[in-house]
Amino acid sequence: MPIPRKPDGSVTTTCAYCGVGCGFRAETLEGRVVRMIPWKEGKANHGHSCVKGRFAFDYYLHPDRVRAPMIRASIHDPWREVSWDEAITHAAAELQRIQAAHGRGSVGAVSSSRCTNEEIFLMQKFARVALRNNNIDNCSRICHSPTQFGLSATLGAGAASQHFDSILQADVILVVGANPTEGHPVFGSMMKRRIREGARLIVIDPRRTETVDSPHCRADVHLALRPGTNVLVLDSIAHVVVCEKLYHEAFIRERCHWHEFEQWMALVGDARYSPEAVGPEAGLDPEDIRRAARLYAAGPRSTIYYGLGVTEHSQGSTGVMCLGNLALACGMLGREGVGVNPLRGQGNVQGGSCLGSWPHMFSGYRFVTDDAVRASFEHDWGLSLDPEPGLRLPNMFDAALAGSFKGMYIQGEDPVQSDPNQNHIMAAMANMECVIVQDLFLTETAKFAHVFLPGSSSLEKNGTFTNAERRVSMVRKVAQPLAGLEDWQITVRMINAMGYPLHYDHPSQVLDEIARLSPAYQGMSFALIERLGSVQWPCNPEAPQGTEVLHTKAFPRGRANFMLTGYVATTERADERYPLLLTTGRILSQYNVGTQTRRTGNVAWCGEDLLEIHQADAHTRGIGEGDWVSVSSRYGATRLRARISERVSPGVVYTTFHFAQTKANAITSDLSDWATNCPEYKVTAVEVARVQAPVVTEPAVREPAEAPA
Amino acid sequence: MSATPAGREPAASAPVMDVERLVSMANQIGDFFAAYPAGQREEGVRNHLRNYWDPRMRTTLLAHVAATGGKGLHAHVLAGARLLGNGAPERAAYAGPPRAEGTGMRARGE
Amino acid sequence: MWSELRALREDVDYGTPPRDGEAVTLTVDGVPVTVAAGSSVMLAAAAAGRPVVKLCATDMLEAFGSCRVCLVEIEGRRGFPASCTTPVEPGMAVRTDTPRLAELRAGVMELYLSDFPAEDVLGGWSELHEVIATTGVSSHRYGPGENHLAAPVDDSNPYFLFDPAKCIVCSRCVRACEEVQGTFALTIQGRGFESKVVASQGEPFLDSECVSCGACVQACPTQSLVEKSLFEGGYRSADPAQA
Repeated sequence: MPIPRKPDGSVTTTCAYCGVGCGFRAETLEGRVVRMIPWKEGKANHGHSCVKGRFAFDYYLHPDRVRAPMIRASIHDPWREVSWDEAITHAAAELQRIQAAHGRGSVGAVSSSRCTNEEIFLMQKFARVALRNNNIDNCSRICHSPTQFGLSATLGAGAASQHFDSILQADVILVVGANPTEGHPVFGSMMKRRIREGARLIVIDPRRTETVDSPHCRADVHLALRPGTNVLVLDSIAHVVVCEKLYHEAFIRERCHWHEFEQWMALVGDARYSPEAVGPEAGLDPEDIRRAARLYAAGPRSTIYYGLGVTEHSQGSTGVMCLGNLALACGMLGREGVGVNPLRGQGNVQGGSCLGSWPHMFSGYRFVTDDAVRASFEHDWGLSLDPEPGLRLPNMFDAALAGSFKGMYIQGEDPVQSDPNQNHIMAAMANMECVIVQDLFLTETAKFAHVFLPGSSSLEKNGTFTNAERRVSMVRKVAQPLAGLEDWQITVRMINAMGYPLHYDHPSQVLDEIARLSPAYQGMSFALIERLGSVQWPCNPEAPQGTEVLHTKAFPRGRANFMLTGYVATTERADERYPLLLTTGRILSQYNVGTQTRRTGNVAWCGEDLLEIHQADAHTRGIGEGDWVSVSSRYGATRLRARISERVSPGVVYTTFHFAQTKANAITSDLSDWATNCPEYKVTAVEVARVQAPVVTEPAVREPAEAPA
Repeated sequence: MSATPAGREPAASAPVMDVERLVSMANQIGDFFAAYPAGQREEGVRNHLRNYWDPRMRTTLLAHVAATGGKGLHAHVLAGARLLGNGAPERAAYAGPPRAEGTGMRARGE
Repeated sequence: MWSELRALREDVDYGTPPRDGEAVTLTVDGVPVTVAAGSSVMLAAAAAGRPVVKLCATDMLEAFGSCRVCLVEIEGRRGFPASCTTPVEPGMAVRTDTPRLAELRAGVMELYLSDFPAEDVLGGWSELHEVIATTGVSSHRYGPGENHLAAPVDDSNPYFLFDPAKCIVCSRCVRACEEVQGTFALTIQGRGFESKVVASQGEPFLDSECVSCGACVQACPTQSLVEKSLFEGGYRSADPAQA
């Protein structure tokens, strides 16, 4: 019959895909989710959606989902299904054995930004009370850790200054290293709406993205800079602001330290950063740099949105500071329509950052080295805590390779596919004695695991997510966890098995604990979020319903700080052997490493990662559209098919990393941000050559042969 | 306090990770602080290592400094690393690079 | 402005976007109601609890005024203005439910039903079906004529299909693609009876510029654009042999 079946149930929840965090009504029929309808009252999406959140939910019942815990003695053995009790007892015993033999710091944990705030908080609690160390990190290490560092250093708060809706009052929109229409589509739609209403657009991106040029959305200035020259170009924009006296002196005197501004002015005002000097080095017309600076400074409401194109560089944190400095200099903070805003990748990366999943910080961005802060946690948790910072994720892999790090509990992350210099990561993984992976599927990382704990999808649990605008929204259980336990329950069991007694009846009690221990979340509770629909932190007695725009009257430290952002070129450079620069990104229909979206109908749009290459570079190499090419770097090589594209400039090639068989990270370097070790995904010198098509191509969705039936 | 953590393990004989990598990481940190005036430069390096590096990474780097006089380290990075070892007072908290001169401004808790 | 977007409600469709303006008080079927200046009579009627039937209007899109079922009477004015495109004025007295309006609406509904698959009139749950229920018009007096009932279904998109037989060419999908999503992938091609919704240059949805955001599916009042996940065992007309 052509009359559609009518859903018989509905639960309002929050999408787990990107950092926009759209509200959805998950509609069910006989207990199964049949469609997701964007929630008109969702303050991040106002009833709009994208192909991922709206349609790509079927992965949650995919046959590849692991439905029972599994263990094995060695990564060469087949998996053996066991009970939850056996798996968890075994995992805990292994971690304790390793700690006894190799020291307390020889094991660690990683939390997932696809998990809820409550689950992330419990993962860092696991490290601190069960492992008794600070070896805990989260995946924002490899994406937006420079945001936290760079925005804290300048503005005092490592998060977006605005709410998304603020863009509807912007006159000038500066997008740096982000492609909102693909990566954050619902926000991208709002941005395009504002552009149709007349806002001006400046895009800084090596690639001619959809944001640069699409129907009724065209950048007034596109700075298609050479990958790796962000800081140089941003300092040059600052140079123009300074030399043409476009800065907002009253704002700087009132809200910043004037002598810091002078120090900064001396640095960026140097002739080295003049557009005429920078242009040739960055591959830009100096006049375009001047136009961008004048447009931004003129406002009157200019706002900055940026993405991984800023952070994933050896100077990622410096690049973020450049943006903070620029907004301060032009007085573009503390009101509607302005601000500095990271577009965060995974659904709960902001939560991952907020909730102490850091080796050096507790929840609420407070240092473990701070005695008073540590004492508050020690008091609440009833034991003393390690006062020294732990290992960061890349440090854990380095230490594993050196033999000093032996065990890891990984919640919902796939570092073997997502982290840089894949050969290095795989060697490190293979060197560990106990790897515990908690995930929905047997991922690339699970190939190196000894214990597999089947996790729950975001449709199968209760909790909260914090989106890229600091908005905390409810995640509600629509279906029962396929393997029986929600992720927070698994982690609680792990903590108990390690000898620390702990019990929660419901994730709301975890949020209560978060509120008790974290100033920004002080006023949060499930009851408040239920009542208001969602709440933006900081939420406290001064702002009982949360805060939409930060820095309206003062900065967290009183005044904001200008940082000195000298340009230091990355050591990853093109040369005769590797003459092209590879940069990476993502496309609309796939999400991250594709664990979920590759298992949905979204493969209709993107069944493989492609290498975008400019006609000129393709021509000299005899490469045609659709040809198989090898891409080799100083670190490794991979093969994929070429797409001739005008979106990249000559000398630049581009690919995505959604498919495991692409092994895009086999070629990326292990260079990283100076401050946070965030990998330099955005610049790798490569050579591209035409090769024969592989005899057998793996199907898109197949996972390791040992996947259980 | 119901329990105290086990005392820190005796310094491992083996380095926690490859020394060359630590040297290059430390130099990268130094590259950022090079824009700052002398004095702040070294302090910036020291603070960063103190607050963001696992103590075993610092120990391995300092062992390298002791054994080789800091081979491969930029001068101000070496000076910053040495500030770690000479009993410079602990900073309770630290939010980023040093402030420009004369702010009298410290991050909360300092 | 975002305060307008935030006035949207999940359980109410005001028909036209909420506005942010000075208070205007009017009556709808004698019920006094206060709304923001710039609001439509349709929005005021919904706010007064006297919603007017509508097909081409929804509160996530600007008023279009094409479907001709939302007609009202306004005291002191001649004719039957479309409530979606008529702005409120202070003291206005609106009637939504008079015998003459019912007659006019019935005439329009009959025309729609004359080119809508008869077997789908009963048992559906789309907005069109709600209007059928409200107006009580579920059949028409016209004999078989030229129609779109045999138009082929586009099921190229993995998640939704487009059955032109159920399309009333209200343009909600086209406008959602423009106003909400900003992709401009859909257009109305042709005029009059020939007019139809097409993706890009008349390509299948999958091959078009459509980004599959779902805004058109959500906007469609007739389930002409509809999620495939709601059909068990496929869509009848998707089989070209039966189309």
